[in-house]
Amino acid sequence: MPPRASKRKSAPPNSSSVTSSDGRSVSNKAKTKGMDKIDRLFNTYANSSLGVIDPEGIEALCSDLGVDYTDVRILMLAWKLKAEKQGYFTQDEWQTGLKALGVDSLTKLKKALPELEKEVEEPSNYEDFYIYAFQYCLTEEKQKSVDIESICELLNLVLGVQFRPQVDSLVEYLKVQNDYKVINADQWINFLRFCKEISFPDLENYDATQAWPLILDNFVEWMREKQS
Amino acid sequence: MSNQKKRNFQIEAFKHRVVVDPKYAEKTWKILEHAIHEIYNHNASGLSFEELYRNAYNMVLHKFGEKLYSGLVTTMTAHLKEISKSIEAAQGDLFLEELNRKWNDHNKALQMIRDILMYMDRTYIPNSRKTPVYELGLNLWRDNIIHSGKIQSRLLSTLLELVHRERTGEVIDRGLMRNTIKMLMDLGSSVYQDDFEKPFLEVSAEFYKVESQKFIECCDCGDYLKKAEIRLNEEIERIAHYLDVKSEAKITNVVEKEMIANHMTRLVHMENSGLVNMLLDDKYEDLGRMYNLFKRVPNGLSMIRDVMTSHLRETGKQLVTDAESSKDPVEFVQRLLDERDKYDKIICQAFSNAKTFQNALNSSFEYFINLNSRSPEFISLFVDDKLRKGLKGVSEEDVEIILDKVMMLFRYLQEKDVFEKYYKQHLAKRLLSGKTVSDDAERSLIVKLKTECGYQFTSKLEGMFTDMKTSQDTMQGFYANHPELAEGPTLVVQVLTTGSWPTQPTITCNLPTEMAALCEKFRSHYLGTHTGRRLSWQTNMGTADIKATFGKGQKHELNVSTYQMCVLMLFNNADRLSYKEIEQATEIPASDLKRCLQSMACVKGKNVLRKEPMSKDIGTDDAFFVNDKFTSKFYKVKIGTVVAQKESEPEKLETRQRVEEDRKPQIEAAIVRIMKSRRVLDHNNVIAEVTKQLQSRFLANPTEIKKRIESLIEREFLERDSDDRKLYRYLA
Repeated sequence: MPPRASKRKSAPPNSSSVTSSDGRSVSNKAKTKGMDKIDRLFNTYANSSLGVIDPEGIEALCSDLGVDYTDVRILMLAWKLKAEKQGYFTQDEWQTGLKALGVDSLTKLKKALPELEKEVEEPSNYEDFYIYAFQYCLTEEKQKSVDIESICELLNLVLGVQFRPQVDSLVEYLKVQNDYKVINADQWINFLRFCKEISFPDLENYDATQAWPLILDNFVEWMREKQS
Repeated sequence: MSNQKKRNFQIEAFKHRVVVDPKYAEKTWKILEHAIHEIYNHNASGLSFEELYRNAYNMVLHKFGEKLYSGLVTTMTAHLKEISKSIEAAQGDLFLEELNRKWNDHNKALQMIRDILMYMDRTYIPNSRKTPVYELGLNLWRDNIIHSGKIQSRLLSTLLELVHRERTGEVIDRGLMRNTIKMLMDLGSSVYQDDFEKPFLEVSAEFYKVESQKFIECCDCGDYLKKAEIRLNEEIERIAHYLDVKSEAKITNVVEKEMIANHMTRLVHMENSGLVNMLLDDKYEDLGRMYNLFKRVPNGLSMIRDVMTSHLRETGKQLVTDAESSKDPVEFVQRLLDERDKYDKIICQAFSNAKTFQNALNSSFEYFINLNSRSPEFISLFVDDKLRKGLKGVSEEDVEIILDKVMMLFRYLQEKDVFEKYYKQHLAKRLLSGKTVSDDAERSLIVKLKTECGYQFTSKLEGMFTDMKTSQDTMQGFYANHPELAEGPTLVVQVLTTGSWPTQPTITCNLPTEMAALCEKFRSHYLGTHTGRRLSWQTNMGTADIKATFGKGQKHELNVSTYQMCVLMLFNNADRLSYKEIEQATEIPASDLKRCLQSMACVKGKNVLRKEPMSKDIGTDDAFFVNDKFTSKFYKVKIGTVVAQKESEPEKLETRQRVEEDRKPQIEAAIVRIMKSRRVLDHNNVIAEVTKQLQSRFLANPTEIKKRIESLIEREFLERDSDDRKLYRYLA
């Protein structure tokens, strides 16, 4: 999936459905009972005045699912829903996502989470998810980079399981270095490539003359100094 | 005869009916044999050539060529054996003479014999594939004389002995040698080579090995080379006089190898007299000799070149990193120029201006000049000094020479943009203070810089000159329009176009009322003709000439800065002014004000003001008075001009930072240019191309280039290829 264009809305997204006289969405009238259930689930958590699930709703959803708000599986859910704005799920996103997951109830959703994890870990999806995670953090309009603090948390969350030693060292470095206060998308994607391609912790096959971003050149130098 | 068909007529060869007397051959041979004897005994005059020829002819004709030939061989051999004995018998020096004499005899005899036997030579001999007579004669001589046991070794040793004697300084009979050697050559090149040349070369090698060892122990480099050269020339002369010219290359090789190649390293590095010493002492003759000799051996010249290069780099490095010389920039640059002149002369006079040596000189200079990061600044200061006073009274040609030499140093700089920055600053100061010695010299240098670096480099500098000229015209126009101002103070304004001139912060101060009014009039006049422009007074850069009358009536004309003028004018209305009052009235920034007051109150000979207390420094509670007792020999007194100085540490840092900042957009522009034309390019090639493009201005740092690439990626001018991380793609 190609990286998304950086189009961000500053206000919560508008609900895309129109309510008819009997209080039910017009777009749903023709749909099946399954869609009904999905909608009802949506409405359980949605903020009625905004017509979307807001951060409070998501928190409630998390506690119902028995998952921590900061758990990576919520991020994966957001990816599956193709949620555009961090902390919010629109009705469209909810419908499309849950349909794709093949669930229409809370219990089914809970059961679907482990499968979702496996799906994300598939090589064809993993990079996509990884990039999505970064873009999910770009909350302001025209924002192109994410602050170091958040990046460190994100790295832990997203890469922590698979690349624990690299993440630990990288996070340590990011916190002590002064050259960069934010990380951009290019640097972010290269962190993943670094973890995948470079042997760790010996860093033997790292070649600074190759087109690694400067921040990684500096990281490797810092590592080597530490090791000697 | 039968009645048959017509027969073809056949003409048969006419045959002589000759009587083949079996004894005929023997008889005829005897005649010829006798003749040969007579010839060898120097009695040829009594013989009849015609008769002998006919006899030989007949023998061959009647198929007795075999007999004739073998008889010839036998007879000649017998004679040669006799001759051999007589040569062997010769004593001492007579040996060679005897050999030569007999050789000449033999030659003459051989010619006669050949002539007599010419018919056999032409018919029997080719048919039976036997050796022709003359050649036979030579071969027999060779086999019986030269290769005879007793003669062969004696001949060789005699020849070698003579050569040796000549080498040790004795005079020998060269003619004799020449003839002997020629004899060997005539006998065939293999004879010459085997019987003389090869041993000769071996013995020579031994001789020179010993001699070179002896010399190298006791001579210094220069002397040794002289001796080597002499020996070499001797050998060449020897060849010319009595050896085969084909031996020249071989014997010179021997000398070169033994005397030069084998001792090359030791010679070059010889203490107190080696190459380095020669370079230091400008020993052109010795260096030239070394060059010519070393040219002959493999790697000779590259050894000289390498030693010269490393020495030059070492001295150059010391020169530029020496803390002392860094104190005086003009001195620093002059020493560089002197060093370059020195080596230029050496290469020209001793190394035949060889291109490889020129290149070595240039690369060495390029190496060490850039070791000192202040070199660009210093070169600009040197030029500044020359253009302010150094070139006063110098002829036009000499000015050009000096400027060309400066340009040579400029070419070595890697950070040409740093030079540009300083040059601009210094030029601005020169132009504004009117302190340039020669306008022509200034322009000449600009032209040279333009030729070297292109229009972009000098366009702003030229703008500065234009501004000066335009300002002159503007002033004329101003006074033409305001004739009533001719009575008052004379204003001279230089209008500087921002962007051409080095950026200065605009600081204003309070001008004296008369000046302020005048300046306003100028401003409205200027803006009247140039609407849409904005003028800012640069009071920190101006000067003023004011007439002053002191306590005892002494009159002086003071040349001061604008700031100083503001301060002084205050004393027209007050006798005593405190620091604070002055500061308030003029609004000159504190650090500038302090320096300004210091230059007028604390400097001997320029103390037009008196200060209480009389301390060196300016304190905020000080009070100032006009110094009524001021005296000076001169009517015109100059107080504190703004001279270009070596920058202080913080200033240096600032300039360096600005240069770094300026480089960033240049690097980005280069990257974009390259990517736009190539569309897709890998990382290493981008670095290489960018470096190449910017080479003429500065040496681009690969890390810096990488930073710029990443910045461009962030701003979506470029992207990384999704499959190959090393590739960049241009985003239109």
